[in-house]
Amino acid sequence: MATELLPDGTSPEKSINPLFKWLNDRLDLVSIWQLAQKKEVPIHKHSIWYYMGGITLMFLIVQIITGILLMIYYVPDLNSAHASILKINTRIDFGWFVRSLHCWAANLMIFVVFLHLFSTYFMKAYRKPREITWLIGMGLLVLVMGFGFTGYLLPWDQVSLFATKIGLDITSKVPVLGDQLATVLRGGSIISQNTLSRFFAIHVIILPLLLFGLLGIHLLLIQLQGISTPKSIKVSEVKYEKFFPDFIFKDLLVWILALNVLFVLVTFLPWGLGEEADPFAPAPIGIKPEWYFLAMFQFLKLIPAYIGPIEGELFGITIIGLIVLILGLVPFWDTGASKKLSKLATYFGLIVLLSMIIFSIWGALS
Amino acid sequence: MNYPIWLVPFLGGSWIIGIISIIHIFISHFAVGSGFYLALTERKAYKENDEGIYDYLKKHTRFFVLVTTAGGAITGVGIWFSVSLVSPDTIAILIQNFAFAWAWEYLFFAAEIATAFAYYYTWDKVSKEIHLKLANLYLWFSVFTLVIINGILTFMLTPGKWIQTHNWLDGFLNPTYFPSLFIRILIMLAIAGIYALVTSSRIKDDNLREKMVKYSAKWLMPVFVAGPIIGFWYFTQIPHETIMTIANGIQTSGVGNFSILTRATYLSLILSGTIVVFAYVGPYLNPKGFTFGISLMFLLCGFMVTGTTEWMREMLRKPYTVYNYIYSNGVKKDEILNIDKMGFLKSGKWANACASKTDNDIQKGQIIFRYECMSCHTVDGYRSMKKLLGTRDQDSIVGFLNLLHQTEPAKNPYHGIMPPFAGSDEDIHLLSSYLYSINNSPNSSDHKISSR
Repeated sequence: MATELLPDGTSPEKSINPLFKWLNDRLDLVSIWQLAQKKEVPIHKHSIWYYMGGITLMFLIVQIITGILLMIYYVPDLNSAHASILKINTRIDFGWFVRSLHCWAANLMIFVVFLHLFSTYFMKAYRKPREITWLIGMGLLVLVMGFGFTGYLLPWDQVSLFATKIGLDITSKVPVLGDQLATVLRGGSIISQNTLSRFFAIHVIILPLLLFGLLGIHLLLIQLQGISTPKSIKVSEVKYEKFFPDFIFKDLLVWILALNVLFVLVTFLPWGLGEEADPFAPAPIGIKPEWYFLAMFQFLKLIPAYIGPIEGELFGITIIGLIVLILGLVPFWDTGASKKLSKLATYFGLIVLLSMIIFSIWGALS
Repeated sequence: MNYPIWLVPFLGGSWIIGIISIIHIFISHFAVGSGFYLALTERKAYKENDEGIYDYLKKHTRFFVLVTTAGGAITGVGIWFSVSLVSPDTIAILIQNFAFAWAWEYLFFAAEIATAFAYYYTWDKVSKEIHLKLANLYLWFSVFTLVIINGILTFMLTPGKWIQTHNWLDGFLNPTYFPSLFIRILIMLAIAGIYALVTSSRIKDDNLREKMVKYSAKWLMPVFVAGPIIGFWYFTQIPHETIMTIANGIQTSGVGNFSILTRATYLSLILSGTIVVFAYVGPYLNPKGFTFGISLMFLLCGFMVTGTTEWMREMLRKPYTVYNYIYSNGVKKDEILNIDKMGFLKSGKWANACASKTDNDIQKGQIIFRYECMSCHTVDGYRSMKKLLGTRDQDSIVGFLNLLHQTEPAKNPYHGIMPPFAGSDEDIHLLSSYLYSINNSPNSSDHKISSR
């Protein structure tokens, strides 16, 4: 066993306390330490994007902790859901704080996931041997948006009800299985107790299980394959630092900064609660989905009712589906073998990103 | 109400003071904290006979002199301008009571600046012993500026016996004087460390950089060891009503705006907590990886902590500017009954002069709004009246103003949060006419009287 393992250069056997020895005998901590010492992270002008994955993980941890705390008081019943959130917001000590943390962290997490996805895309980190990591990343994005969609209904206020209605209407237009999928999610033909119960179960059980599974594989693959360096960076321009402790410490600093942003948002803009949902009331004027669905919503709004014989929404959803498919399959058509395809992938990504920004702003302002 | 009004659209005058003050405090605390840092670090350099530390200090001093003299002077004068324009009645009280203290403060301030320049320009030109004496001299002068200004700042929250005696020393040595003095010194040490981390992260020699980064990070430790204890002492000395306002906000922060003090307190505590973790896992545990970029982020965190903590401190004495004596709108507590009888517009010299120029109810109401409400509200920006009034009709506005008019806590739910309305029934009518017009007039909020 190597003797230069500890950061201060001392031999573990000499300086270790009995507890470490006990654990080491069973878990082989020294080997883990050796492995951590070997792992390196490239440093170059685009290194900042390497922190996005870590920030996402940190926000996920916030989501898990605050989600568990919210579950203590939340009641997924049509007659009690809104009242229980109101109670959390007004009568439970620090309840507003926990809920605001949950809601703001969710939004920030989705935002950082988008940043992570596009930074990975533009650094071409999806290429061999990281195709599976990329695909799982895309799957995680879908799951995260699913969390947002299902969580949005749970407070059972007017806006959440009608935004969910719009979301499910769009889902029903998905080719082939759309109608069935919307019916399953709704638990019938209208939004009811069945919908709330299903969304709750999906939000707190199904999605977390899927997320933990995919995230586990995603992280494992990153450990196995290491962190990629963009080909545009010259080898001479790249330095390396140890993952542990150097990168981890920097990662922690970035986490602290991200947490500070979260706390400032929570304190200045605590998450509110609208009026209790009334399925028979007219939809609030100018109802819009959450910002991460806004680009899609605005795009669908612009499409006429019919394009030839095809229904407008069906056409729009098919286009969006194709874009996601091309994006998802990018590792298989931009393998790095062709410069032309590499450029095409970059331009395609830029167009998608710019379109998302423009449609989102347009949707927010319209 | 005896002086002209300074109109600051959208942001409001109080935020102008706030922004300038927070920047000033972050610089002035650096100035005093550096008194300790320079003196002790120079002593360390001589003791260890380390030329590297000596060279680093020379560069750090240049940065320190530039930031504190230029930045400190600009923002310091800025505070005087903005405070005099936004709260002339309050500043008049402070000057009348503490003219002598302020004279001393200026004296020490001038000596502090002169010593800072002497310290910077005499590196390598005088003996080490004399240079170290200059560092010590700077330290004492800078601490004395704090000793004095701290008395005036704490007086505003806890005027203590001054309320009865009106003796300046009773106000100066008030209940929060000592806890505030000690906690400020600790914060100043931390801020000196944060700034020093910026300069030490640029040291070229790897070993020296790691040594100085780790050394500078340790300057944050005193505030995190003793800070909570002194902070608790400070909170035991502030008015009970303020503590109750914080406690009430613990549950209700999710709804309504009256929990802003509680939220400011949370933010101050949380950001203070995160900065200690930052200092520990960053420069202390990993000085090698502490780059200039990270040091700037750390500086930003320090600025955020300072900003929120000072904001919280200011909020503690709301709705007063001098607790239990004068409200944030310049109305003195013991003058309210008289103003109720005389009418607001007839009570203030400048307000009376403005009102005499118009016969229009809405315009007269706007004058009352500017004097009584605009220290905290704007028409359509910060704490927007447009938003707060919404679709209320004039009767409900009158009803609300009648509630605000009550000086008995039991009858006024906004007691301790907003100043009571001071004025006659006629004033209530005038103000309500203006407030109603904000959302219900074709030229809403555009009644120009300032040019008259």
